[in-house]
Amino acid sequence: MSRLYIDGVAKSFGDAVALHEVSLHVDDGEFVTLLGPSGCGKTTLMRIVAGITQPDRGSIRIDDRVIHSLPPERRNIGLVFQSYALFPHMTVAANVGFGLKMRGIPRADADARVAAALDLVDLGPLADRYPRALSGGQQQRVALARAVVIEPDVLLFDEPLSNLDAKLRDQLRDDLKILQRRLGITAIYVTHDQAEAMALADRILVMKNGRIVEEGAPVTLYRQPRTRFAAEFLGQTNVLPVRQRDGRTLMPWDREVLASADDADRHVSLRPEDIAMTPDADGPGAVRSVTFLGASVECRIAVGGIELRVRQTGSDVVLPEIGTRVRLAARAAPHPLSEGSDSPLKLADA
Amino acid sequence: MTARISRSAAAAILILPSGGYLVLFFGLPLLLAFLGGFGLFTRGAETGFTLEHYRTLFGTRAYRDGLLFSTYLAIVPTMVSLALALPLAVALARTHPGQKLFNMLYKVPLVVPGIVAAFIVMTMFDRGGLAARVLEPIGIDLPKLVRDQWAIGVIIATAWKAVPFMTLIIGGSLGAINRDILSAARTLGAGPLATFWRIQVPLALPGITAAFLLTFIGGMGAYAVPNLLGPVYPLPLSVHMYVNAFERNNWGLVSAMGTVLSLISVAVLLAYYRATRGMRIAYGGEAR
Repeated sequence: MSRLYIDGVAKSFGDAVALHEVSLHVDDGEFVTLLGPSGCGKTTLMRIVAGITQPDRGSIRIDDRVIHSLPPERRNIGLVFQSYALFPHMTVAANVGFGLKMRGIPRADADARVAAALDLVDLGPLADRYPRALSGGQQQRVALARAVVIEPDVLLFDEPLSNLDAKLRDQLRDDLKILQRRLGITAIYVTHDQAEAMALADRILVMKNGRIVEEGAPVTLYRQPRTRFAAEFLGQTNVLPVRQRDGRTLMPWDREVLASADDADRHVSLRPEDIAMTPDADGPGAVRSVTFLGASVECRIAVGGIELRVRQTGSDVVLPEIGTRVRLAARAAPHPLSEGSDSPLKLADA
Repeated sequence: MTARISRSAAAAILILPSGGYLVLFFGLPLLLAFLGGFGLFTRGAETGFTLEHYRTLFGTRAYRDGLLFSTYLAIVPTMVSLALALPLAVALARTHPGQKLFNMLYKVPLVVPGIVAAFIVMTMFDRGGLAARVLEPIGIDLPKLVRDQWAIGVIIATAWKAVPFMTLIIGGSLGAINRDILSAARTLGAGPLATFWRIQVPLALPGITAAFLLTFIGGMGAYAVPNLLGPVYPLPLSVHMYVNAFERNNWGLVSAMGTVLSLISVAVLLAYYRATRGMRIAYGGEAR
């Protein structure tokens, strides 16, 4: 059982605030993703948990064990780096066995555990190679084996797939998810890639300017984002202004918004795939561009001074001519966004 | 056929400037010195093959001791300097307050000529020197540090020059190590000391070696510093070379001595390359 508690952790580098007071609790075996643009403080938070960076204040615990004052070597936390960070002068087996050696595990026991860890990532036959002789994907799997063989309480990932090409990235992403599930390790995964975050996480925390602005399960966060920032960062969306008239909230094309919107709400989020588009000579929209993407067709539609994206899927989709007049309808309820999108999110149980 | 000939001719012409320079100014003098040791093409003497010079070199106690002493003056100051430079380079690689100033200050000895360093050590540590006068009132009596049996003065002066030099080179090697690798070692359970020995030292080995070899070879041929600060007996081979060349006009013996000094340096170089071969193959990008 390893629950991670991060409470009020803050960090500044000189005048630049990297993290405002951030709190985050990760449940045993939970896979949490920190998602945000570069410079949002996600990597800093992770390095603080690992002990590589010292926080200005705040506390970090694993269960009842206070770890924020411990050096990295005494925290029992595994870390997988974007750069792989393998030891170039050691073989694959020596890399994986390094943590066990440092823990004084007897040689025979260590060798067996190294072999098991390498089998886990399908690299058994490459045990005697040097990292230089491996591909990027293989190197990252060695790094993964090296991190899990020490049986860490918490496993941290710092954009581990960013240096790999797209196909390999998807493959390794799935492997990683299966492995984490099988081992039941509590994990934090840092990324700027929203697809990666949604594919892997039990819970996504969206970060911006050193704060966690929103959190939730991938499905909730994608379909019912609370902030404009999260709505736009997770996938593509249309953030549309709405008008209040006679107590009704109206879309730009004068249809009523079905979901309940407060008076304060001025914008709704409507995903491109949630908009139905039908040719209509009297329709309010005009097709401005058409992009064929294979699995989908993406159109930009001009409606009353704004432009929105519509995505249609299926082999029966007809590519419209540019300039075609269209009628639009929301296939799902447009989701109201709160205006104060930068306000920090309070933890429910904090 | 003609194309191939003209191509190799072109290659020869292209190699000529660098290759010719090496042969003319490096290979030829070295060859002459080597032959001179066997009495061939010796300056100011009739030539003819002889082993007499080597017999003199290895048969005379002062020269044998001189050879050992030269080797001692190469090994010991280099080891002392390395022991100081290695931790200093690691300390300098970390970020700390006053880093810029310190980074500049430690390099000062680099711009001071060796002979000046020798005189500094002499005024500081000789009998009645500055250190003795400062320490005497508080009851500390310095042992003999200049012209002493163990050449402590030579070691101090050499290290004073060599430590910043080695620190500079080793620091460059340490700085080139990806910081993630060090962080990885720490999270895997290695303390700062284990990280130093198991990660930083092996990965900085190319720099450590270059620094070691350059200092070692400098020590092998050191003349001015041991002449000023070293003991009266033994004298390093370099001093014997000077005496034999300019006071006894025995150039054959000088050539033999120079050849032996060079051979020891080359032997150390080869031994090192052999010892670290595996490591260089592993991560140096060298072919197996």
